[in-house]
Amino acid sequence: MKNILSALWGEYLKARRSKMPLLTALGFAFVPLMGGFFMIVLKDPEMARRLGMVSAKAQIVAGNADWQTYLGILSQGTAIGGIVLFGIIASWVFGREYSDHTLKDLLALPTTRSEIVLAKFFLVALWSAALVVLVYLLGLAIGSLIRLPVASTEIFWQSSITLAVVAALMILLVTPIAFVASAGHGYLPPMGFAIFAVFFAQVIAAAGWGEYFPWSVPALRSGMAGPEYDNLGFVSYALVVAASIVGMVATFVWWEWADQVY
Amino acid sequence: MNNAIETHGLEKKYGDVTAVDDLSLRVACGEIYAFLGLNGAGKTTTIRMLLGMVKPSAGEVNVLGVPIRIDGKKPWAQVGHLVETPHAYPELSVRENLELIRRLRPGVPAQNVNRIIEQLGLNTYAERRAGALSLGNAQRLGLAKALLHAPELLILDEPANALDPAGIVEIRNLLSELARTQGVTIFMSSHILGEVSRLAKRIGIIHQGKLIQELNIEELNRNRRRRLLVRARDMDAARNVLQSAGFSAVLNSNDTLDIKDDAAIRQPENIATRLVNAGHPPTLLQVDEEDLEHYFLRLVGMTPENSK
Repeated sequence: MKNILSALWGEYLKARRSKMPLLTALGFAFVPLMGGFFMIVLKDPEMARRLGMVSAKAQIVAGNADWQTYLGILSQGTAIGGIVLFGIIASWVFGREYSDHTLKDLLALPTTRSEIVLAKFFLVALWSAALVVLVYLLGLAIGSLIRLPVASTEIFWQSSITLAVVAALMILLVTPIAFVASAGHGYLPPMGFAIFAVFFAQVIAAAGWGEYFPWSVPALRSGMAGPEYDNLGFVSYALVVAASIVGMVATFVWWEWADQVY
Repeated sequence: MNNAIETHGLEKKYGDVTAVDDLSLRVACGEIYAFLGLNGAGKTTTIRMLLGMVKPSAGEVNVLGVPIRIDGKKPWAQVGHLVETPHAYPELSVRENLELIRRLRPGVPAQNVNRIIEQLGLNTYAERRAGALSLGNAQRLGLAKALLHAPELLILDEPANALDPAGIVEIRNLLSELARTQGVTIFMSSHILGEVSRLAKRIGIIHQGKLIQELNIEELNRNRRRRLLVRARDMDAARNVLQSAGFSAVLNSNDTLDIKDDAAIRQPENIATRLVNAGHPPTLLQVDEEDLEHYFLRLVGMTPENSK
Protein backbone atom coordinates (compact mmCIF):
# COMPACT_ATOMS: atom_id res chain seq x y z
CA MET A 1 0.00 0.00 0.00
CA LYS A 2 3.03 2.28 -0.44
CA ASN A 3 1.61 4.02 -3.50
CA ILE A 4 -1.72 4.94 -1.96
CA LEU A 5 -0.81 8.65 -1.66
CA SER A 6 0.09 8.84 -5.36
CA ALA A 7 -3.19 7.16 -6.22
CA LEU A 8 -5.08 9.55 -3.95
CA TRP A 9 -3.32 12.52 -5.59
CA GLY A 10 -4.47 11.21 -8.99
CA GLU A 11 -8.06 10.80 -7.84
CA TYR A 12 -8.01 14.28 -6.31
CA LEU A 13 -6.68 15.80 -9.54
CA LYS A 14 -9.38 14.10 -11.62
CA ALA A 15 -12.09 15.35 -9.26
CA ARG A 16 -10.68 18.88 -9.02
CA ARG A 17 -10.60 19.28 -12.79
CA SER A 18 -14.23 18.21 -13.16
CA LYS A 19 -17.42 20.12 -12.41
CA MET A 20 -18.61 17.42 -10.00
CA PRO A 21 -17.39 19.02 -6.71
CA LEU A 22 -19.25 22.24 -7.57
CA LEU A 23 -22.40 20.42 -8.72
CA THR A 24 -22.57 18.17 -5.67
CA ALA A 25 -21.92 21.14 -3.35
CA LEU A 26 -24.75 23.08 -5.00
CA GLY A 27 -27.00 20.02 -4.76
CA PHE A 28 -26.27 19.49 -1.08
CA ALA A 29 -26.54 23.20 -0.24
CA PHE A 30 -30.21 22.74 -0.99
CA VAL A 31 -30.62 20.94 2.38
CA PRO A 32 -29.79 23.91 4.69
CA LEU A 33 -31.54 26.34 2.31
CA MET A 34 -34.71 24.26 2.39
CA GLY A 35 -34.42 23.92 6.16
CA GLY A 36 -33.97 27.70 6.46
CA PHE A 37 -37.09 28.25 4.37
CA PHE A 38 -39.14 26.02 6.68
CA MET A 39 -37.80 27.88 9.71
CA ILE A 40 -38.82 31.25 8.29
CA VAL A 41 -42.29 29.92 7.55
CA LEU A 42 -42.65 28.25 10.95
CA LYS A 43 -41.41 31.34 12.74
CA ASP A 44 -44.14 33.53 11.39
CA PRO A 45 -46.63 31.67 9.14
CA GLU A 46 -48.79 34.78 8.71
CA MET A 47 -45.91 36.86 7.45
CA ALA A 48 -44.91 34.05 5.08
CA ARG A 49 -48.42 34.02 3.65
CA ARG A 50 -48.52 37.80 3.31
CA LEU A 51 -45.19 37.85 1.51
CA GLY A 52 -46.39 35.11 -0.83
CA MET A 53 -43.69 32.68 0.29
CA VAL A 54 -46.37 30.02 0.79
CA SER A 55 -49.92 29.80 -0.46
CA ALA A 56 -52.83 30.28 1.94
CA LYS A 57 -53.55 26.60 1.48
CA ALA A 58 -50.06 25.47 2.53
CA GLN A 59 -49.86 22.68 5.08
CA ILE A 60 -46.94 23.71 7.19
CA VAL A 61 -45.04 20.80 8.67
CA ALA A 62 -45.39 20.42 12.38
CA GLY A 63 -42.48 21.75 14.38
CA ASN A 64 -41.03 24.83 15.94
CA ALA A 65 -38.68 27.40 14.53
CA ASP A 66 -35.73 26.46 16.73
CA TRP A 67 -32.24 25.07 16.42
CA GLN A 68 -33.26 21.54 17.41
CA THR A 69 -35.82 21.29 14.59
CA TYR A 70 -33.52 22.99 12.12
CA LEU A 71 -30.49 20.77 12.86
CA GLY A 72 -32.89 17.78 12.73
CA ILE A 73 -33.89 18.80 9.21
CA LEU A 74 -30.19 18.92 8.27
CA SER A 75 -29.71 15.36 9.55
CA GLN A 76 -32.82 14.10 7.76
CA GLY A 77 -31.82 15.90 4.57
CA THR A 78 -28.38 14.28 4.82
CA ALA A 79 -29.95 10.85 5.30
CA ILE A 80 -32.14 11.11 2.21
CA GLY A 81 -30.04 13.43 0.03
CA GLY A 82 -26.93 11.46 0.97
CA ILE A 83 -28.14 8.25 -0.65
CA VAL A 84 -28.48 10.07 -3.95
CA LEU A 85 -25.62 12.60 -3.73
CA PHE A 86 -23.00 10.35 -2.14
CA GLY A 87 -24.22 7.76 -4.65
CA ILE A 88 -23.56 10.20 -7.50
CA ILE A 89 -20.05 10.81 -6.16
CA ALA A 90 -19.25 7.08 -5.91
CA SER A 91 -20.84 6.45 -9.33
CA TRP A 92 -18.69 9.14 -10.86
CA VAL A 93 -15.43 8.22 -9.13
CA PHE A 94 -15.72 4.53 -10.05
CA GLY A 95 -18.00 4.57 -13.11
CA ARG A 96 -16.13 7.27 -15.04
CA GLU A 97 -13.16 4.93 -15.59
CA TYR A 98 -15.53 2.69 -17.54
CA SER A 99 -17.53 5.43 -19.27
CA ASP A 100 -14.34 7.26 -20.32
CA HIS A 101 -12.54 3.97 -21.17
CA THR A 102 -9.62 5.01 -18.96
CA LEU A 103 -9.77 1.88 -16.80
CA LYS A 104 -7.29 -0.02 -18.96
CA ASP A 105 -4.57 2.52 -18.08
CA LEU A 106 -4.98 1.72 -14.37
CA LEU A 107 -4.79 -2.08 -14.50
CA ALA A 108 -1.17 -2.89 -15.31
CA LEU A 109 0.84 -0.43 -13.20
CA PRO A 110 3.25 -0.76 -10.28
CA THR A 111 0.52 0.96 -8.23
CA THR A 112 -1.81 -1.96 -7.63
CA ARG A 113 -5.49 -2.07 -8.45
CA SER A 114 -6.29 -2.41 -4.73
CA GLU A 115 -4.35 0.78 -4.01
CA ILE A 116 -6.33 2.58 -6.69
CA VAL A 117 -9.66 1.24 -5.39
CA LEU A 118 -8.73 2.21 -1.83
CA ALA A 119 -7.73 5.70 -2.98
CA LYS A 120 -11.10 6.00 -4.70
CA PHE A 121 -12.92 4.99 -1.51
CA PHE A 122 -10.89 7.52 0.48
CA LEU A 123 -11.76 10.24 -2.00
CA VAL A 124 -15.48 9.40 -1.95
CA ALA A 125 -15.47 9.41 1.87
CA LEU A 126 -13.52 12.69 2.13
CA TRP A 127 -15.63 14.35 -0.54
CA SER A 128 -18.90 13.24 1.10
CA ALA A 129 -17.65 14.30 4.55
CA ALA A 130 -16.66 17.71 3.13
CA LEU A 131 -20.21 18.12 1.80
CA VAL A 132 -21.63 17.34 5.24
CA VAL A 133 -19.30 19.92 6.82
CA LEU A 134 -20.49 22.39 4.18
CA VAL A 135 -24.14 21.62 5.02
CA TYR A 136 -23.42 22.05 8.72
CA LEU A 137 -21.55 25.35 8.39
CA LEU A 138 -24.08 26.71 5.92
CA GLY A 139 -26.82 25.57 8.32
CA LEU A 140 -25.22 27.44 11.23
CA ALA A 141 -24.87 30.56 9.08
CA ILE A 142 -28.47 30.42 7.84
CA GLY A 143 -29.80 29.62 11.33
CA SER A 144 -27.98 32.67 12.73
CA LEU A 145 -29.10 34.83 9.84
CA ILE A 146 -32.78 34.05 10.37
CA ARG A 147 -32.25 34.55 14.11
CA LEU A 148 -33.39 31.24 15.49
CA PRO A 149 -33.83 31.48 19.27
CA VAL A 150 -30.68 30.77 21.26
CA ALA A 151 -30.43 27.08 22.18
CA SER A 152 -28.46 25.27 24.86
CA THR A 153 -25.04 23.78 24.18
CA GLU A 154 -26.59 20.38 24.91
CA ILE A 155 -28.99 20.72 21.96
CA PHE A 156 -26.16 21.74 19.60
CA TRP A 157 -24.00 18.92 20.86
CA GLN A 158 -26.72 16.25 20.47
CA SER A 159 -27.84 17.49 17.05
CA SER A 160 -24.26 17.66 15.81
CA ILE A 161 -23.60 14.10 16.95
CA THR A 162 -26.78 12.93 15.20
CA LEU A 163 -25.69 14.63 11.98
CA ALA A 164 -22.20 13.14 12.26
CA VAL A 165 -23.55 9.63 12.90
CA VAL A 166 -26.07 9.88 10.05
CA ALA A 167 -23.34 11.15 7.71
CA ALA A 168 -20.97 8.35 8.75
CA LEU A 169 -23.68 5.74 8.16
CA MET A 170 -24.45 7.22 4.74
CA ILE A 171 -20.76 7.29 3.78
CA LEU A 172 -20.43 3.65 4.81
CA LEU A 173 -23.27 2.80 2.43
CA VAL A 174 -21.52 4.11 -0.71
CA THR A 175 -19.42 0.96 -1.11
CA PRO A 176 -22.20 -1.17 -2.71
CA ILE A 177 -22.74 1.73 -5.17
CA ALA A 178 -19.03 1.64 -6.05
CA PHE A 179 -19.39 -2.07 -6.74
CA VAL A 180 -22.46 -1.57 -8.95
CA ALA A 181 -20.58 1.18 -10.87
CA SER A 182 -17.65 -1.21 -11.44
CA ALA A 183 -19.64 -4.32 -12.29
CA GLY A 184 -22.18 -2.27 -14.27
CA HIS A 185 -19.40 -0.54 -16.26
CA GLY A 186 -20.51 3.06 -15.90
CA TYR A 187 -22.71 5.67 -14.25
CA LEU A 188 -26.23 4.52 -14.98
CA PRO A 189 -26.51 1.20 -13.10
CA PRO A 190 -25.29 2.72 -9.78
CA MET A 191 -27.62 5.70 -10.19
CA GLY A 192 -30.49 3.28 -10.71
CA PHE A 193 -29.33 1.40 -7.61
CA ALA A 194 -29.30 4.62 -5.54
CA ILE A 195 -32.82 5.54 -6.66
CA PHE A 196 -34.07 2.05 -5.78
CA ALA A 197 -32.31 2.30 -2.42
CA VAL A 198 -34.17 5.56 -1.62
CA PHE A 199 -37.45 4.01 -2.73
CA PHE A 200 -37.03 0.80 -0.73
CA ALA A 201 -35.71 2.72 2.28
CA GLN A 202 -39.04 4.60 2.38
CA VAL A 203 -41.27 1.61 1.73
CA ILE A 204 -39.49 -0.72 4.15
CA ALA A 205 -39.35 1.96 6.88
CA ALA A 206 -43.08 2.62 6.39
CA ALA A 207 -43.72 -1.12 6.74
CA GLY A 208 -41.96 -1.00 10.10
CA TRP A 209 -38.89 -3.04 9.14
CA GLY A 210 -36.59 -0.09 8.61
CA GLU A 211 -34.31 -1.06 11.49
CA TYR A 212 -33.25 -4.08 9.47
CA PHE A 213 -32.74 -2.42 6.08
CA PRO A 214 -29.34 -0.67 5.92
CA TRP A 215 -30.53 2.19 3.70
CA SER A 216 -33.40 3.00 6.11
CA VAL A 217 -31.19 3.08 9.18
CA PRO A 218 -29.60 6.56 8.66
CA ALA A 219 -33.04 8.12 8.09
CA LEU A 220 -34.40 6.47 11.26
CA ARG A 221 -31.33 7.59 13.19
CA SER A 222 -31.90 11.14 11.94
CA GLY A 223 -35.28 11.17 13.66
CA MET A 224 -37.33 11.22 10.50
CA ALA A 225 -39.75 8.59 11.78
CA GLY A 226 -39.97 10.02 15.29
CA PRO A 227 -37.99 9.90 18.50
CA GLU A 228 -38.73 6.20 19.17
CA TYR A 229 -35.83 5.37 16.83
CA ASP A 230 -33.32 7.56 18.68
CA ASN A 231 -31.74 4.48 20.18
CA LEU A 232 -31.45 2.01 17.35
CA GLY A 233 -30.19 -1.39 18.36
CA PHE A 234 -26.78 -2.81 17.66
CA VAL A 235 -28.23 -4.94 14.84
CA SER A 236 -29.16 -1.86 12.77
CA TYR A 237 -25.64 -0.46 12.93
CA ALA A 238 -24.13 -3.88 12.35
CA LEU A 239 -26.26 -4.29 9.22
CA VAL A 240 -25.00 -0.97 7.82
CA VAL A 241 -21.40 -1.94 8.54
CA ALA A 242 -21.99 -5.40 7.03
CA ALA A 243 -23.49 -3.88 3.83
CA SER A 244 -20.47 -1.57 3.66
CA ILE A 245 -17.97 -4.39 4.08
CA VAL A 246 -19.75 -6.53 1.47
CA GLY A 247 -19.74 -3.61 -0.99
CA MET A 248 -16.08 -2.85 -0.34
CA VAL A 249 -14.86 -6.44 -0.59
CA ALA A 250 -16.96 -7.00 -3.72
CA THR A 251 -15.41 -3.91 -5.34
CA PHE A 252 -11.84 -5.03 -4.53
CA VAL A 253 -12.56 -8.55 -5.77
CA TRP A 254 -14.17 -7.23 -8.94
CA TRP A 255 -11.19 -5.03 -9.82
CA GLU A 256 -8.70 -7.82 -9.15
CA TRP A 257 -10.54 -10.84 -10.51
CA ALA A 258 -13.07 -9.90 -13.16
CA ASP A 259 -12.11 -9.78 -16.84
CA GLN A 260 -11.62 -6.12 -17.65
CA VAL A 261 -12.51 -5.50 -21.26
CA TYR A 262 -13.45 -1.79 -21.07
CA MET B 1 15.68 -14.89 -19.22
CA ASN B 2 15.78 -15.27 -23.01
CA ASN B 3 12.19 -14.50 -23.76
CA ALA B 4 10.42 -11.27 -22.83
CA ILE B 5 7.05 -12.89 -23.51
CA GLU B 6 6.15 -16.56 -23.41
CA THR B 7 2.72 -18.12 -23.60
CA HIS B 8 1.86 -21.81 -23.48
CA GLY B 9 -1.44 -23.18 -24.73
CA LEU B 10 -3.17 -19.88 -24.07
CA GLU B 11 -6.93 -20.03 -24.47
CA LYS B 12 -9.80 -17.65 -23.83
CA LYS B 13 -13.44 -18.63 -24.15
CA TYR B 14 -16.45 -16.37 -23.80
CA GLY B 15 -19.31 -18.83 -23.46
CA ASP B 16 -19.25 -20.91 -26.64
CA VAL B 17 -17.00 -18.48 -28.47
CA THR B 18 -13.29 -19.25 -28.44
CA ALA B 19 -11.52 -15.90 -28.84
CA VAL B 20 -7.99 -17.32 -28.46
CA ASP B 21 -7.19 -20.97 -29.02
CA ASP B 22 -4.06 -22.83 -27.88
CA LEU B 23 -1.72 -19.91 -28.48
CA SER B 24 1.96 -20.48 -27.78
CA LEU B 25 4.18 -17.48 -28.43
CA ARG B 26 7.79 -16.68 -27.72
CA VAL B 27 9.11 -13.17 -28.07
CA ALA B 28 12.85 -12.94 -27.50
CA CYS B 29 14.35 -10.10 -25.50
CA GLY B 30 15.24 -7.16 -27.73
CA GLU B 31 13.07 -8.43 -30.58
CA ILE B 32 10.42 -6.49 -32.47
CA TYR B 33 7.56 -8.92 -32.89
CA ALA B 34 4.48 -8.11 -34.94
CA PHE B 35 1.26 -9.84 -34.06
CA LEU B 36 -0.82 -9.75 -37.18
CA GLY B 37 -4.47 -10.56 -37.67
CA LEU B 38 -7.73 -9.31 -39.09
CA ASN B 39 -10.19 -7.46 -36.86
CA GLY B 40 -11.65 -9.92 -34.35
CA ALA B 41 -8.81 -12.44 -34.83
CA GLY B 42 -8.00 -12.41 -31.10
CA LYS B 43 -5.15 -9.87 -31.00
CA THR B 44 -6.58 -7.57 -28.35
CA THR B 45 -7.79 -10.47 -26.20
CA THR B 46 -4.24 -11.89 -26.30
CA ILE B 47 -2.78 -8.50 -25.36
CA ARG B 48 -5.23 -8.17 -22.48
CA MET B 49 -4.18 -11.63 -21.26
CA LEU B 50 -0.50 -10.65 -21.50
CA LEU B 51 -1.28 -7.61 -19.34
CA GLY B 52 -3.35 -9.53 -16.79
CA MET B 53 -6.54 -7.67 -17.68
CA VAL B 54 -8.33 -10.82 -18.82
CA LYS B 55 -7.84 -14.22 -17.23
CA PRO B 56 -7.02 -17.09 -19.59
CA SER B 57 -9.49 -20.00 -19.68
CA ALA B 58 -6.43 -22.25 -20.01
CA GLY B 59 -2.69 -21.92 -20.48
CA GLU B 60 0.01 -19.72 -19.04
CA VAL B 61 1.54 -16.32 -19.63
CA ASN B 62 5.04 -15.24 -18.63
CA VAL B 63 6.08 -11.63 -19.06
CA LEU B 64 9.72 -10.70 -18.38
CA GLY B 65 10.12 -14.05 -16.64
CA VAL B 66 7.20 -13.44 -14.27
CA PRO B 67 4.13 -15.69 -14.46
CA ILE B 68 1.04 -13.49 -14.72
CA ARG B 69 -1.27 -14.46 -11.85
CA ILE B 70 -3.75 -12.46 -9.83
CA ASP B 71 -1.97 -12.98 -6.55
CA GLY B 72 1.62 -12.95 -7.78
CA LYS B 73 4.36 -10.37 -8.21
CA LYS B 74 3.81 -8.27 -11.33
CA PRO B 75 6.38 -7.02 -13.87
CA TRP B 76 4.42 -3.85 -14.77
CA ALA B 77 7.14 -1.40 -13.65
CA GLN B 78 9.16 -2.55 -16.69
CA VAL B 79 6.25 -2.79 -19.14
CA GLY B 80 4.63 -0.02 -21.18
CA HIS B 81 1.32 -0.68 -22.85
CA LEU B 82 -1.24 0.71 -25.23
CA VAL B 83 -4.49 -1.25 -25.47
CA GLU B 84 -6.99 -0.58 -28.26
CA THR B 85 -7.96 3.03 -28.95
CA PRO B 86 -6.15 5.22 -26.43
CA HIS B 87 -8.31 7.24 -24.07
CA ALA B 88 -7.29 9.88 -21.57
CA TYR B 89 -9.06 11.90 -18.89
CA PRO B 90 -10.75 14.49 -21.11
CA GLU B 91 -10.75 17.35 -18.60
CA LEU B 92 -7.05 16.96 -17.76
CA SER B 93 -4.38 18.48 -19.98
CA VAL B 94 -1.92 16.32 -21.91
CA ARG B 95 0.74 17.14 -19.31
CA GLU B 96 -1.58 16.35 -16.39
CA ASN B 97 -2.55 13.01 -17.93
CA LEU B 98 1.14 12.11 -18.20
CA GLU B 99 1.91 13.41 -14.71
CA LEU B 100 -0.89 11.26 -13.31
CA ILE B 101 0.54 8.12 -14.91
CA ARG B 102 4.06 9.13 -13.81
CA ARG B 103 2.95 9.30 -10.16
CA LEU B 104 1.31 5.89 -10.45
CA ARG B 105 4.71 4.58 -11.59
CA PRO B 106 6.87 5.38 -8.55
CA GLY B 107 10.49 6.24 -9.22
CA VAL B 108 9.94 7.76 -12.67
CA PRO B 109 11.71 11.16 -12.66
CA ALA B 110 9.56 14.28 -13.17
CA GLN B 111 11.61 15.36 -16.20
CA ASN B 112 10.41 12.29 -18.11
CA VAL B 113 7.11 14.06 -18.71
CA ASN B 114 8.81 16.90 -20.60
CA ARG B 115 11.11 14.49 -22.41
CA ILE B 116 8.26 12.33 -23.69
CA ILE B 117 6.14 15.37 -24.68
CA GLU B 118 9.10 16.53 -26.76
CA GLN B 119 9.84 13.06 -28.16
CA LEU B 120 6.29 12.54 -29.38
CA GLY B 121 5.88 16.04 -30.79
CA LEU B 122 3.19 17.03 -28.29
CA ASN B 123 4.79 20.35 -27.25
CA THR B 124 2.12 22.49 -28.89
CA TYR B 125 -0.62 20.49 -27.21
CA ALA B 126 0.94 19.97 -23.77
CA GLU B 127 -1.47 22.32 -21.98
CA ARG B 128 -4.48 21.41 -24.09
CA ARG B 129 -7.33 19.38 -22.60
CA ALA B 130 -7.02 15.77 -23.71
CA GLY B 131 -10.71 15.84 -24.67
CA ALA B 132 -9.93 18.43 -27.35
CA LEU B 133 -7.15 16.43 -29.07
CA SER B 134 -7.42 15.08 -32.60
CA LEU B 135 -7.42 11.27 -32.99
CA GLY B 136 -3.80 11.32 -34.11
CA ASN B 137 -2.66 13.36 -31.12
CA ALA B 138 -4.73 11.19 -28.77
CA GLN B 139 -2.78 8.25 -30.21
CA ARG B 140 0.48 10.10 -29.53
CA LEU B 141 -0.63 10.71 -25.95
CA GLY B 142 -1.42 6.99 -25.61
CA LEU B 143 2.07 6.14 -26.89
CA ALA B 144 3.58 8.76 -24.57
CA LYS B 145 1.94 7.04 -21.57
CA ALA B 146 3.37 3.71 -22.71
CA LEU B 147 6.90 5.11 -23.18
CA LEU B 148 6.99 7.52 -20.21
CA HIS B 149 8.99 5.27 -17.86
CA ALA B 150 11.47 3.96 -20.48
CA PRO B 151 10.21 0.36 -20.18
CA GLU B 152 12.10 -2.80 -21.11
CA LEU B 153 9.06 -4.19 -22.88
CA LEU B 154 6.43 -2.41 -24.92
CA ILE B 155 3.09 -4.09 -25.63
CA LEU B 156 1.34 -1.97 -28.23
CA ASP B 157 -2.04 -2.65 -29.77
CA GLU B 158 -2.19 -1.12 -33.25
CA PRO B 159 0.33 1.67 -32.50
CA ALA B 160 -0.08 3.32 -35.91
CA ASN B 161 -3.86 3.72 -35.61
CA ALA B 162 -5.18 7.15 -36.52
CA LEU B 163 -1.71 8.50 -37.37
CA ASP B 164 -1.15 10.31 -40.65
CA PRO B 165 1.52 8.94 -43.04
CA ALA B 166 4.20 11.25 -41.60
CA GLY B 167 3.21 10.20 -38.09
CA ILE B 168 3.42 6.51 -39.02
CA VAL B 169 6.98 6.95 -40.30
CA GLU B 170 7.92 8.99 -37.23
CA ILE B 171 6.60 6.40 -34.77
CA ARG B 172 8.17 3.57 -36.75
CA ASN B 173 11.54 5.33 -36.55
CA LEU B 174 11.08 6.00 -32.84
CA LEU B 175 10.26 2.36 -32.06
CA SER B 176 13.05 1.10 -34.27
CA GLU B 177 15.50 3.43 -32.50
CA LEU B 178 14.33 2.26 -29.05
CA ALA B 179 14.89 -1.37 -30.01
CA ARG B 180 18.26 -0.65 -31.60
CA THR B 181 19.81 1.66 -29.02
CA GLN B 182 18.15 0.57 -25.78
CA GLY B 183 17.34 -3.06 -26.50
CA VAL B 184 13.63 -2.51 -25.83
CA THR B 185 11.48 -5.52 -26.74
CA ILE B 186 8.43 -4.52 -28.73
CA PHE B 187 5.33 -6.65 -29.16
CA MET B 188 2.92 -4.87 -31.47
CA SER B 189 -0.34 -5.91 -33.03
CA SER B 190 -1.54 -4.78 -36.40
CA HIS B 191 -3.87 -5.76 -39.21
CA ILE B 192 -1.60 -4.31 -41.89
CA LEU B 193 1.29 -6.55 -42.91
CA GLY B 194 2.90 -3.88 -45.08
CA GLU B 195 3.17 -1.60 -42.08
CA VAL B 196 4.78 -4.08 -39.67
CA SER B 197 7.07 -5.74 -42.19
CA ARG B 198 9.19 -2.56 -42.26
CA LEU B 199 9.80 -2.70 -38.54
CA ALA B 200 9.37 -6.21 -37.16
CA LYS B 201 12.00 -8.92 -37.19
CA ARG B 202 9.43 -11.62 -36.59
CA ILE B 203 5.77 -11.89 -37.39
CA GLY B 204 3.09 -14.09 -35.85
CA ILE B 205 -0.14 -14.40 -37.78
CA ILE B 206 -3.31 -15.06 -35.80
CA HIS B 207 -6.57 -16.04 -37.44
CA GLN B 208 -9.79 -17.00 -35.67
CA GLY B 209 -7.90 -17.22 -32.39
CA LYS B 210 -5.17 -19.56 -33.65
CA LEU B 211 -1.56 -18.77 -34.44
CA ILE B 212 -1.40 -19.99 -38.04
CA GLN B 213 2.14 -18.98 -38.90
CA GLU B 214 5.21 -17.54 -37.25
CA LEU B 215 8.03 -16.40 -39.49
CA ASN B 216 10.90 -13.95 -39.71
CA ILE B 217 11.17 -11.27 -42.34
CA GLU B 218 13.51 -13.33 -44.59
CA GLU B 219 11.04 -16.21 -44.57
CA LEU B 220 8.25 -13.83 -45.33
CA ASN B 221 10.07 -12.58 -48.41
CA ARG B 222 10.80 -16.14 -49.53
CA ASN B 223 7.21 -17.25 -49.03
CA ARG B 224 5.69 -14.50 -51.08
CA ARG B 225 4.69 -15.66 -54.54
CA ARG B 226 6.74 -14.24 -57.37
CA ARG B 227 6.11 -14.32 -61.09
CA LEU B 228 7.56 -12.97 -64.29
CA LEU B 229 5.28 -10.78 -66.39
CA VAL B 230 5.94 -10.66 -70.14
CA ARG B 231 4.33 -8.73 -72.95
CA ALA B 232 5.12 -8.78 -76.69
CA ARG B 233 3.53 -7.41 -79.87
CA ASP B 234 2.22 -10.86 -80.78
CA MET B 235 1.17 -12.44 -77.48
CA ASP B 236 0.10 -15.81 -78.94
CA ALA B 237 3.40 -16.26 -80.75
CA ALA B 238 5.38 -15.27 -77.65
CA ARG B 239 3.39 -17.73 -75.53
CA ASN B 240 4.07 -20.53 -78.03
CA VAL B 241 7.81 -19.75 -77.97
CA LEU B 242 7.92 -19.90 -74.17
CA GLN B 243 5.68 -22.95 -73.82
CA SER B 244 7.73 -24.90 -76.35
CA ALA B 245 10.81 -23.99 -74.28
CA GLY B 246 9.10 -25.67 -71.31
CA PHE B 247 7.86 -22.60 -69.41
CA SER B 248 4.33 -22.46 -68.02
CA ALA B 249 3.36 -19.19 -69.68
CA VAL B 250 -0.30 -18.33 -69.13
CA LEU B 251 -2.15 -15.35 -70.56
CA ASN B 252 -3.77 -13.42 -67.69
CA SER B 253 -6.71 -11.03 -67.69
CA ASN B 254 -4.41 -8.00 -68.16
CA ASP B 255 -3.29 -9.41 -71.53
CA THR B 256 0.10 -10.24 -70.02
CA LEU B 257 1.90 -13.57 -69.85
CA ASP B 258 2.39 -14.94 -66.31
CA ILE B 259 5.40 -17.23 -65.79
CA LYS B 260 5.77 -18.82 -62.37
CA ASP B 261 8.78 -21.05 -63.10
CA ASP B 262 11.69 -20.41 -60.75
CA ALA B 263 14.25 -20.45 -63.58
CA ALA B 264 12.40 -17.67 -65.39
CA ILE B 265 12.04 -15.54 -62.26
CA ARG B 266 15.72 -15.93 -61.30
CA GLN B 267 17.03 -15.25 -64.82
CA PRO B 268 14.54 -13.17 -66.79
CA GLU B 269 17.30 -12.22 -69.25
CA ASN B 270 17.16 -15.79 -70.64
CA ILE B 271 13.48 -15.32 -71.44
CA ALA B 272 14.29 -12.06 -73.22
CA THR B 273 17.01 -13.78 -75.26
CA ARG B 274 14.68 -16.58 -76.34
CA LEU B 275 11.96 -14.13 -77.42
CA VAL B 276 14.41 -11.91 -79.30
CA ASN B 277 15.93 -14.93 -81.09
CA ALA B 278 12.42 -16.09 -82.05
CA GLY B 279 11.66 -12.64 -83.54
CA HIS B 280 9.21 -11.60 -80.78
CA PRO B 281 11.16 -9.20 -78.56
CA PRO B 282 9.44 -8.42 -75.26
CA THR B 283 7.82 -5.02 -74.76
CA LEU B 284 7.55 -5.73 -71.02
CA LEU B 285 9.65 -7.96 -68.76
CA GLN B 286 8.95 -7.57 -65.04
CA VAL B 287 9.46 -9.68 -61.91
CA ASP B 288 6.35 -9.14 -59.87
CA GLU B 289 6.25 -9.94 -56.16
CA GLU B 290 2.99 -10.79 -54.45
CA ASP B 291 2.12 -7.82 -52.33
CA LEU B 292 2.01 -8.26 -48.59
CA GLU B 293 -1.72 -7.82 -48.29
CA HIS B 294 -2.36 -10.52 -50.89
CA TYR B 295 0.09 -12.78 -49.11
CA PHE B 296 -1.62 -12.18 -45.76
CA LEU B 297 -5.11 -12.74 -47.18
CA ARG B 298 -3.91 -15.93 -48.94
CA LEU B 299 -2.54 -17.19 -45.60
CA VAL B 300 -5.79 -16.60 -43.76
CA GLY B 301 -7.70 -18.26 -46.58
CA MET B 302 -9.17 -15.16 -48.15
CA THR B 303 -8.66 -13.93 -51.69
CA PRO B 304 -8.84 -10.18 -52.20
CA GLU B 305 -12.08 -10.77 -54.13
CA ASN B 306 -13.94 -12.62 -51.40
CA SER B 307 -12.59 -10.36 -48.66
CA LYS B 308 -14.40 -7.36 -50.10
